[in-house]
Amino acid sequence: MSKRSGLMRHTTMLFVLLAGGISTVLFSVKYQVHELEDSHARLVKELGEERRALHVLNAEWATLNDPRRLELLAVEYLGLQPIPPRQVVRPDAMLDIPVRELTFGEETQ
Amino acid sequence: MIKKSPLQTEIPFEALDPKRIHMESSRKQALDQGRTRLLVTGVVFAMAFVVLGGRLVDLTRHGKDGAPKWQAMSSSAIAAPVVTRGDVRDRNGHILATSLPTKSLYVDSRETLRGIRADEAADKLMSVMPELDRAQVLARIKSGGRQVWLARNLTPDQVWSINSLGIPGFGFRDEEQRVYPFGPTFAHVLGYTDVDGKGIAGMERTFQSKLGTHGESIDLSIDMRVQAVLHEELGKAKDKFDAVGAAGVVMDVKTGEILAMASLPDFDPNTRQGSLGDAGFNRVTKGVYEMGSTFKLFNTAMALDTGTVGMSDGYDASEPIRVSRFTISDYHAKNRWLSVPEILVHSSNIGSAKMALDVGAKKQKEYLRRFGLLGSTDVELPEVGNPLYPARWGDISTMTISYGHGIAVSPLQVAAGVSALINGGVMITPTLVKRSDDNPVQGKRVLKAKTSDAMRRLMRKVVRDGTGGNAEVKGYLVGGKTGTAEKQVSGGYDKKTLISSFVGAFPMTNPRFVVLVVVDEPKGIKESYGYATGGWVAAPAVGGVIERLGPIFGVVPDQGSDDAEENPEHPLYVPVSNGPKQTAWLRGGLTHAAY
Repeated sequence: MSKRSGLMRHTTMLFVLLAGGISTVLFSVKYQVHELEDSHARLVKELGEERRALHVLNAEWATLNDPRRLELLAVEYLGLQPIPPRQVVRPDAMLDIPVRELTFGEETQ
Repeated sequence: MIKKSPLQTEIPFEALDPKRIHMESSRKQALDQGRTRLLVTGVVFAMAFVVLGGRLVDLTRHGKDGAPKWQAMSSSAIAAPVVTRGDVRDRNGHILATSLPTKSLYVDSRETLRGIRADEAADKLMSVMPELDRAQVLARIKSGGRQVWLARNLTPDQVWSINSLGIPGFGFRDEEQRVYPFGPTFAHVLGYTDVDGKGIAGMERTFQSKLGTHGESIDLSIDMRVQAVLHEELGKAKDKFDAVGAAGVVMDVKTGEILAMASLPDFDPNTRQGSLGDAGFNRVTKGVYEMGSTFKLFNTAMALDTGTVGMSDGYDASEPIRVSRFTISDYHAKNRWLSVPEILVHSSNIGSAKMALDVGAKKQKEYLRRFGLLGSTDVELPEVGNPLYPARWGDISTMTISYGHGIAVSPLQVAAGVSALINGGVMITPTLVKRSDDNPVQGKRVLKAKTSDAMRRLMRKVVRDGTGGNAEVKGYLVGGKTGTAEKQVSGGYDKKTLISSFVGAFPMTNPRFVVLVVVDEPKGIKESYGYATGGWVAAPAVGGVIERLGPIFGVVPDQGSDDAEENPEHPLYVPVSNGPKQTAWLRGGLTHAAY
């Protein structure tokens, strides 16, 4: 009789402990999830802002790439001009260009 | 002392074992009943808990109905577009039109008046946005409306400074503004949108549902670099010859893709206001013009393809043709017998007219239809024109149409038709959308490959020895045909009001691109010896485009010497026919004696 009630008491204790343990774990997991959700929301928001900035920068990049603007800049700062057709050659034409033999330390006059 | 009942004694629950308890039957029965009820209740509760547990497991698993889909949520938040309207890009992915997120300022006038005096609010706003009209701002603040627009599409800086004023009742709403980074360069291709971002012209309108409703981007066949070159060369030609307008198109002859298309005068779609008038008129697709001698290309191709004439045949062009009140004469008159190549090279109206008569009106109509010159311009723009041609297609019409008078078509139709002449004889519908698997090339054979080969030689010869010499770009074997037509002014033709055009293609050994330039009402200048014809006005512009277009696409110039093309083995050799050995038979039906 007393042995049985003892077993019963142990079982109860065990379940109380188990319930307590699980509640603690659940509680902490719940908080972790909250934190993760917060950081997730923050990241999504940041990502949205970055994407927005990217979109605007793409538009700006397109504006800066205006061929007319590039032409003006190239002429003014780089001294470049449009490539005339005679400068376009077949790849094998490179072989016809004579190789200049240079010795270091010697300046061509 | 009352006898203690067994239940009142301290008997543990587990001791209530039927084997161990012997009671009177009525008590036993009650106890059994209670135990059964307990059992049933227990089972019901147990099952309820099982169901709850199952649901709990179910919920912890992602992606089930009812549970929030975290993955889906996050990716949708990431993939959500910044703006609702899609971009328009060129064939290399450069942005030609995009929408920017902006904010617009409105005033809730009741809120403002509660917190601050109206003129004080107006003064404050004016201090950061001096370009506004104070009286108007004041009127709007006092209007009593709950949401009255004060200024639209503000920059982030303006938003920040207005916010820092702290005026009660001012608020912002997110909006989109359509921007065109290249301004007028693509005006007629792209079109524009209205204030609410709805496409109302050009590709913006054609693809309104794709761009606006679905927010998808589209890739055009246009190449930004080529477009810039064409736009610039057209502008130069228009200014130089003080023309009222100019139009140009560059097409890939093998795919029908339009690499560039421009019409002057144009407009800046970013600052478009009110009616556009002539600037809004797309001369390439909407305008139809009597193109003049460029039509001789179609005429010659038709005559060669039907076998009516051969390359060494010819016609007597020594005297003008007189039919009733019409006189057909030559502008560059040679006053002698001309071979078929010479008719094209010297642009002889007399020769072309006789050739067309030999082919006949029926065949002529059929061929022009094949080249897409009798149907409406077929391209993805809402602004397209329908050709004008005579309902009664008599012999006189046959003759004038042979050299491009009495029929008006859009420049794009000419470019597409000429592509078919030189790409091996396949008519391809021009497109402004980049070719891909969804938009494959669909061609229809309209000429024999042999005719197409002859046309390449002939077009080359026009530039080498004929009226198109100003389009020559050394090394690129440019071919083409000039065209000069008198515009109809109040019912008649005016010799001073011209449409000068040149359609060029290169390299003629294996043509890749067709370049067409049309200049509307050019005036002769000293440099062109007073001429305003296609050879003086449009041909140099085409040459200018080709000179810059070739290197962009890495077209390697031909290394042959200047007289290489006089070698009969050369693919562009045209035999010289030096005398009336053969004259094609001219039908006798027409009032033959008249000429």
